[in-house]
Amino acid sequence: MQLPVLNEAPAAKGGCSASSCGTTDNQMDTLPDSIREKVQNHPCYSEDAHHYFARMHVAVAPACNIQCHYCNRKYDCANESRPGVVSELLTPDQAVKKTMAVAATIPQMTVLGIAGPGDPLANPERTFETFRRLSEEAPDIKLCVSTNGLALPDAVEELSKHNIDHVTITINCVDPEIGAKIYPWIFWNNKRIKGKKAAKILIDQQQKGLEMLIAKGILVKVNSVMIPGVNDQHLAEVSRVVKSKGAFLHNVMPLIAEAEHGTFYGVMGQRGPTPDELQDLQDSCSGDMNMMRHCRQCRADAVGLLGEDRGDEFTLDKIEEMEIDYSAAMEKRKVIHQAIQEEMDSKRLEKSQKAEQFKAEPKLATRPVLMAVATSGQGLINVHFGHAKEFLIYEASPDGVRFISHRKADQYCGGDSTCGDGESVLQQTVRALAGCEAVLCSKVGYEPWDLLEKAGIMPNGEHAMEPIEDAVLAVYKEMAAAGKLDAKPEALRASA
Amino acid sequence: MAVTIIESCVNCFACEPVCPSKAIFESKPHFKVNPNKCTECEGDYPVFQCASICPIEGAILNSLGEAINPPGSLTGIPPEKMAEAMAELQSH
Repeated sequence: MQLPVLNEAPAAKGGCSASSCGTTDNQMDTLPDSIREKVQNHPCYSEDAHHYFARMHVAVAPACNIQCHYCNRKYDCANESRPGVVSELLTPDQAVKKTMAVAATIPQMTVLGIAGPGDPLANPERTFETFRRLSEEAPDIKLCVSTNGLALPDAVEELSKHNIDHVTITINCVDPEIGAKIYPWIFWNNKRIKGKKAAKILIDQQQKGLEMLIAKGILVKVNSVMIPGVNDQHLAEVSRVVKSKGAFLHNVMPLIAEAEHGTFYGVMGQRGPTPDELQDLQDSCSGDMNMMRHCRQCRADAVGLLGEDRGDEFTLDKIEEMEIDYSAAMEKRKVIHQAIQEEMDSKRLEKSQKAEQFKAEPKLATRPVLMAVATSGQGLINVHFGHAKEFLIYEASPDGVRFISHRKADQYCGGDSTCGDGESVLQQTVRALAGCEAVLCSKVGYEPWDLLEKAGIMPNGEHAMEPIEDAVLAVYKEMAAAGKLDAKPEALRASA
Repeated sequence: MAVTIIESCVNCFACEPVCPSKAIFESKPHFKVNPNKCTECEGDYPVFQCASICPIEGAILNSLGEAINPPGSLTGIPPEKMAEAMAELQSH
């Protein structure tokens, strides 16, 4: 699939795009300084920050005013991890308590979002009560909200009062013909409205809301769900429109659709994009799309670092028992944030120096390679293959190392010797790594080693506790030296 | 003359604020309608407000006991297709 390059460069574009410059971490070069300052430590917007800072969502907003074909309001399962799913609905009071309990226990938690399980702005009283109290009682937490946009224009004034500097609007289309295939109905002016007419109202409200937020100086990110055959070709246009109106970031996420979710797309057999299709689209929106490649499409009640969920530690009965002294917690948080900031700054500096150094070396003429990495944070290779819940995918090429995406893995080894269908789960994990030529982790067992090798994926446990980019580059150079990477131009991805 | 909310309700709160008669209340295991207060929106709106925002097919019945939103009417999933998918799931 070839799409035109979308990135109409903003005025302050930093002179190099992701594909032409040093290594991976130029994610934010295209942003003006004022915006970069706001987002560079935000775990959802910054790939390196997400290894250090945590986020949480509070599920205070149950009602929704539209139906999307990828959502099923009946679902509520602890084993599900996707937007719109929660286990426990909270009142604003419970949400404030939970947020402060988490902030005191996990001092790296810096961002609180309200994302559902319905639409936050279709529950304005519950949503704004939560924001109002948190901005007073826990002023060191950043507040974010996401919305489908239908009720957005009416909420902009109130949003601007609560010092909310990030709003996410899910915009899947700017064409009502396409919208009618994604949204079966909306509730609008006391009526349920269907079809193209409904889609047009929703689209108009989203665009109006976007313009109003920008006019108020509130940062807007746009999320789109990539639905092959429905809006995949159209998202280029969406990207162009929302960026021209001032959205600082466009995040394209893959459709999640399984029959067992009971969603329209799931039941009707609509497929999600393949990793390649998603990567092609993300690459074609080069530049800022890099900022969201680590997006985990988390649950509306997720707690912790991206990719982990510590929600079980903060259920209602547990937070009732916690005594929180927030002013003491805030002191402690400040110290810890400072330390993290220093560590991140030094790592960012080190990374850019290494990038310079790499650029100065004679350029390899080898083909790019995808590698999978098992990590639990801090930017290190520090997870045993069998314990990895997900793998981060990096691309190494003569241009350097860049983060591409993450892929979920089922943990086949729970430390239990009686796990019956362990082998098939292991096979699934190996399948999930298709396209990768190496997997870097702290350790690999014999059984997965054999299976990985047979699948053409080289297991590697030699770089345990090393920084990810260094290790990926070292392995790439070894592969190059061993003559495994002689360039085959026809095999090169257009983007690499 | 009143609508009824039945057990397939998922407690999403959407109907409660749109009721012009304040007849809907939170309850366990699901939301309920006070039949003495419900007017079926007569005099206020031409359509049932609760059933116009409810996302769950079959969860709200009219005074004849019929689903105001019958299967397939909201999600667009043909009922037989849904039954097929659920049967497939249960066989696993």
